[in-house]
Amino acid sequence: MFTYILRRVGILFLTLLVVSLIAFSLSKIAPGDPVERIIRGRENVGSSKSDYINYQKIYAETAELLGLDKPTFYFELTTAAYPDTLYRIIDKDHQNTLSKLIGQSGNWEAVEHYYQQLRHLDVLLSDLPPSVDRNARTGMRSDLRDLYVNYEPNAIMARFKRMKADMDKDSALTAEVARPYQQLSEAYAKMVTEATPAKHWFPKIIWNGIDNQYHNWFTNFLVGNFGYSYINGRPVEDKLLDALQWTLIINSIAILLAYLISIPLGVYAGVHKDSTFDKVTTIGLFILFSLPVFWIATLLVVFFTTPEYGIDLFPPLGVTDLPPDAPLWNRMVDIAWHLVLPVFCLTYPALALIARQMRGGVLNVVQLDFIRTARAKGVGKQQVIWKHLFWNALFPIITLIASVLPAALAGSVVIEFIFNIPGMGRLTIDAINQRDWPVVYMVLMLSATLTMIGILIADLLYAAIDPRVSFKKKVA
Amino acid sequence: MIQSAKSPSYWALVSKQFKKNRIALWSLRLVGVLLFIAVFADFIANDKPLYCQIEGKTHFPIAESYLVDLGLKKWDPVFLQGGDWHKLPYEKVRYTLIPYAPKNIDLKNNDYISPFGKQRVKSNWFWHRLGTDQLGHDVASRMVHGTRTAMLVGVVAMSIASFIGIFLGGLAGFFGDHRLKLSRARLVLSLLGLVIGYFFAFVSRKYALTEGNFGKELAISLLLFVLVVLVANGIGWLLERLPILQKQVPIPADLLVMRFIEILNSIPALLLLLAIVATIKKSSIFHVMVIIGLIRWTGIARFIRAELLRIRNMEYVEAARAIGLSEWRTLFRHAIPNALTPVLIAISFGIAGSILLEAFISFLGIAKPDASWGELLTHARTYPKAWWMALFPGFAIFITVTLFNLIGEGLTEALDPKRIQKS
Repeated sequence: MFTYILRRVGILFLTLLVVSLIAFSLSKIAPGDPVERIIRGRENVGSSKSDYINYQKIYAETAELLGLDKPTFYFELTTAAYPDTLYRIIDKDHQNTLSKLIGQSGNWEAVEHYYQQLRHLDVLLSDLPPSVDRNARTGMRSDLRDLYVNYEPNAIMARFKRMKADMDKDSALTAEVARPYQQLSEAYAKMVTEATPAKHWFPKIIWNGIDNQYHNWFTNFLVGNFGYSYINGRPVEDKLLDALQWTLIINSIAILLAYLISIPLGVYAGVHKDSTFDKVTTIGLFILFSLPVFWIATLLVVFFTTPEYGIDLFPPLGVTDLPPDAPLWNRMVDIAWHLVLPVFCLTYPALALIARQMRGGVLNVVQLDFIRTARAKGVGKQQVIWKHLFWNALFPIITLIASVLPAALAGSVVIEFIFNIPGMGRLTIDAINQRDWPVVYMVLMLSATLTMIGILIADLLYAAIDPRVSFKKKVA
Repeated sequence: MIQSAKSPSYWALVSKQFKKNRIALWSLRLVGVLLFIAVFADFIANDKPLYCQIEGKTHFPIAESYLVDLGLKKWDPVFLQGGDWHKLPYEKVRYTLIPYAPKNIDLKNNDYISPFGKQRVKSNWFWHRLGTDQLGHDVASRMVHGTRTAMLVGVVAMSIASFIGIFLGGLAGFFGDHRLKLSRARLVLSLLGLVIGYFFAFVSRKYALTEGNFGKELAISLLLFVLVVLVANGIGWLLERLPILQKQVPIPADLLVMRFIEILNSIPALLLLLAIVATIKKSSIFHVMVIIGLIRWTGIARFIRAELLRIRNMEYVEAARAIGLSEWRTLFRHAIPNALTPVLIAISFGIAGSILLEAFISFLGIAKPDASWGELLTHARTYPKAWWMALFPGFAIFITVTLFNLIGEGLTEALDPKRIQKS
């Protein structure tokens, strides 16, 4: 038994490892730059990036704070054309452009030279004497900045042309930047003419050591340091705990209700097989089981919470309309009133599932010999049902526990989205939509853990109820 | 259990059992109707006429539109005047049952016109039978074309899922942990081939793949990948002659596949789907289908594994081995075809699940198909007064999902060995 649990914990760890890899690689493939997003959210940097040098400084600091200035993973399989340390270009857009340029030309030295010239000219342009014509300067600089994110030859050539035109407008500007501009365009030409695309056919494995983004994140995760939200910088566990409270409230009520109603229903229907009651409940449960939750939830919202049809019995979306300082009792009543519909929507599919399983379990047991024996012995009907039949029919219900926990989380996604409840499901959808990866990691890891724990609990319960189940290895 | 030539085949028995189940049989027929609507959606809801006479010439615009899309034909210039198919100077015209395409915007009847409300249409034929949405799209037309989306999701996702599930489940069930053996040479070179193939196909060609025509470049890359893997295996085959490299190493196929399934199942499908879709810049409905297929194969794999665990010890498999057929041939030609029937159960429930997932994804507004039931349902949230947008699309989802669930139930019953023996 002990070794069994130990082995399961081992598997749990393995699963977490794989899930962490999946979540991490998803976050790396996804478009968007978290650093830029976080700066925009916090610093109120204008989109014009007026204070460009300052912006870059903040960018570098933020990236360092998030650990995004490190290499991505322990090792990297790449081609001989790429340098070992491309990750040191911290700005994600620049990094991406350089990577594409290498993809085109295969000649890192030339690309690097071009990038250096680009930055050199950029610095020069931001620090010009006042005699230079303002329009020409800003025009040239905005085209130059475009070069940081452009890698298509046509787009680059167009920028060069416009820059040249701007430069020729003003003689003072020409005097200042003609040479660096010349060097830049030469660097670009060199990159094109001295391309070595054949280098891409030679593999190279880069070893990054353990100071990488994945390692840092995963080890932090294991010691309980879950990181900070990209959106508002709050610790992920705080956000999660706030959300978890609502999810736990509505789910525990729903699961409790579902079990309380469905077990007697299933047993009764199973014992009285083929009675009218059984037929009606079987069909009814099947329909309930098939009714898509998000449709029913939408219908309830449309008909019962809006004044359009005159039957708005329930308050509109959210969990409460009262301010936090309202009397506790009023608040509780208000919240309960708000939660009626969501709890209903969570209850009915679980109820249908459990009742159907319970009925099936009863049907399987009812035909077994020991029930007949018990009846033949003269044991009362109720006693047979609740003492003999019930416990034996409980097996399928136990396996359901394995799926109830994670299903509750997934189910909450739908319900919380529609009823606008600030729980885990809502948090998950928002985090995924806003690409708030630390939160997404955490939710994925949490749901994987819950699932594995659910399966483990189900297995242990199984063993506790059924003496035939043993975790000792069978001797072949 | 020896089957003589005259006794009905297993499949015939199952199909007989299935036909006894009235509800399941009718569900299957109704799914047939849905498939018909999906395939012929263009002939049911379209702004182009089925048949028309214009300037003395007879046309079949809908049929012609297929040829035009394929580039085999050009539109007659009379059709290219305005863009509104309803306003052409026809001499004779016959429209489809719902004379609107899902993309048509009826500016006279926009902003949520109820099916029973005041509609400004030129004749009853053009009545918006299920109302319109905010922009003036005809809901009935979107429902019909939504059927196509739903069926496509079911078919595409489950085709991918079946392919993966049957292959991996087959490996796990047939070979178990000990029967799949490779020589050392083959093992090492296969792994090496995979890595090198991956490098040439996807790392070397990263720029071409991300910047070029994705379909074409992907085909080249896949070809390259297969080529490298084949070459590596060929070298392995040659090296196998060396005695040291000849030693056979067992591969725990069952363990690997089952662990993989466990891990995949530990993340709720909806969350995984959402997270993967979020990584795609412009996610379309086809991405959603493919991803659902890549996630939802575990049920199929489990079914086929369980079936093969039984089949692999049966006499005909032993016989195939005894006459010297290779293990792979036995697996794919003899064992898997006989294990496919129970997989239909998993596929049937899988289609229901996929349709539900797609509807919800569209409901969230993440993938934006031309017409989807889930997307229609969203309007009910933004405009509660539009009861028709809450009722009809949801009902369509409900019916479709229920039909596939009923078929799944029917199959489960029909495949129950207790019942088959009785008949």
